[in-house]
Amino acid sequence: MKGLHIHGVSHAYGNNKVLNNVSLTIPTGELVCLLGPSGCGKSTLLRLAAGLETLQCGTIVIDDQTVATKESSLAPEHRHIGLMFQDYALFPHLDIVANVCFGLIGMARDKARARALEMLDQVGMADYAKVYPHTLSGGQQQRIALARALAPEPKLLLLDEPFSGLDTNMRQMIREDTLNVLKQNGVATLMVTHDPEEAMFMADRIKILGRHGRVRQSGSPHDIYYKPNDEFVAGLFGLMNRLGGVVRDGAVETPLGRVGAGGIADGTAVQVLIRPEGIVLSGGNTGSNPGIPVSVSSTHLLGHSSIVSVSPDGNSGDEYFARVHREFSPELEDTIFASIEASDTFVFPLKEDTASAAPIGMAAE
Amino acid sequence: MVDLSSSFETECEIIDRDHRRLVEMVNAIVAAIDGDHATECATRVPKFVKFAKQHFVREEAFLADIGYPETQKHHDHHRALDGKMATILGLAAKAADNQLAREALKKDLVFFLMDDVINADLDFKPFIKVRKT
Repeated sequence: MKGLHIHGVSHAYGNNKVLNNVSLTIPTGELVCLLGPSGCGKSTLLRLAAGLETLQCGTIVIDDQTVATKESSLAPEHRHIGLMFQDYALFPHLDIVANVCFGLIGMARDKARARALEMLDQVGMADYAKVYPHTLSGGQQQRIALARALAPEPKLLLLDEPFSGLDTNMRQMIREDTLNVLKQNGVATLMVTHDPEEAMFMADRIKILGRHGRVRQSGSPHDIYYKPNDEFVAGLFGLMNRLGGVVRDGAVETPLGRVGAGGIADGTAVQVLIRPEGIVLSGGNTGSNPGIPVSVSSTHLLGHSSIVSVSPDGNSGDEYFARVHREFSPELEDTIFASIEASDTFVFPLKEDTASAAPIGMAAE
Repeated sequence: MVDLSSSFETECEIIDRDHRRLVEMVNAIVAAIDGDHATECATRVPKFVKFAKQHFVREEAFLADIGYPETQKHHDHHRALDGKMATILGLAAKAADNQLAREALKKDLVFFLMDDVINADLDFKPFIKVRKT
């Protein structure tokens, strides 16, 4: 299979195990994102694929050629890999076209220049061929770095947090442009990010790495978001309401209503995780599912949406966070109604280490 | 199109034979989609999923038979793929009328086969190798 094939990679720095039996495949033309918190080993896996670290366990195959095992390793320059880092790493003393030509070793000067200009054209930077990197914005430098990485027609492209140095608006634009260029070039791409939204946007498949470099889940962005394997994966996507409970008659009673237990056995202690967008607020008590009366304790405008903090009437100690459209602005201490949206609600058996595995985001109990 | 290069071989003929069959089935589905015969997904994909499930049963019986110590873990891994197979079947049902479903189906099938099924099966390759010697 053309592309990247990694199997059984484990890695440790001294006693600190950072990767634990990680396997993945990336067919040519596809993009896989490694997503996880800092220190989960995702950049280590990238460096191992690049040949910048010595493989301790497992195998790495690129385009059907074994490039690394415990016993042998092909030098990085012979792996036909393109690399792009957060800091772009452009040479300040070379103009843009010379920067892109840099990786075209062994190619005749005229051909190399033509190829570099072709790539600059692809990333929309052909007019900047003769300028120097310091005159360019971060977004423009990122485009140059992409052109340089792709110019030698690598078998594999490795991207390490490539957009994290850009501001929010620029990041959205650049990552969309980058994705188009990558698809146009049909190269297998492994990208590391700690930004779930970025992974969702870019990836054909996401691998979630947890603590000690263990793969927690692999799947399409849709699967990862709507069918998380556990609370760690569910919690990666931001703020989450957490409620405890016990399964009775195939469901869990919560202060906000009854939630299906998804096949978990009766009597099992569980935690219920509800995304803020999974708590639906309404001003009136209408329809067949009337909802639970709740009081508003705070609202925070985030731009296109607001986070509203609510407590069930008569139970002011419990507080839950709901995401609503910015135009829905209930008054403080108003009584409104809350119901639960099943597609944004997840039930997992309660584990002893649940507290220590708590994911990113606020938690209400 | 997927080809089963040597790095994906478990070196166990009954398992590798199943893998080759699964690859053929996926390639036929991809060819049908690319050849403007996406209506065939409605029959081809359920056959693929059925064969994958049969493969899991055969493989688990084989692993239990040879005393592979991680048989239960591998069984659990297979069960965890039920949701993905349901997603694939759902995409196949929409494939005839929906371009996005066709594209998603091709991707999901290839990743499911190469990453979730075949790459995961390489976990027991060292055990089989040792047992052979």
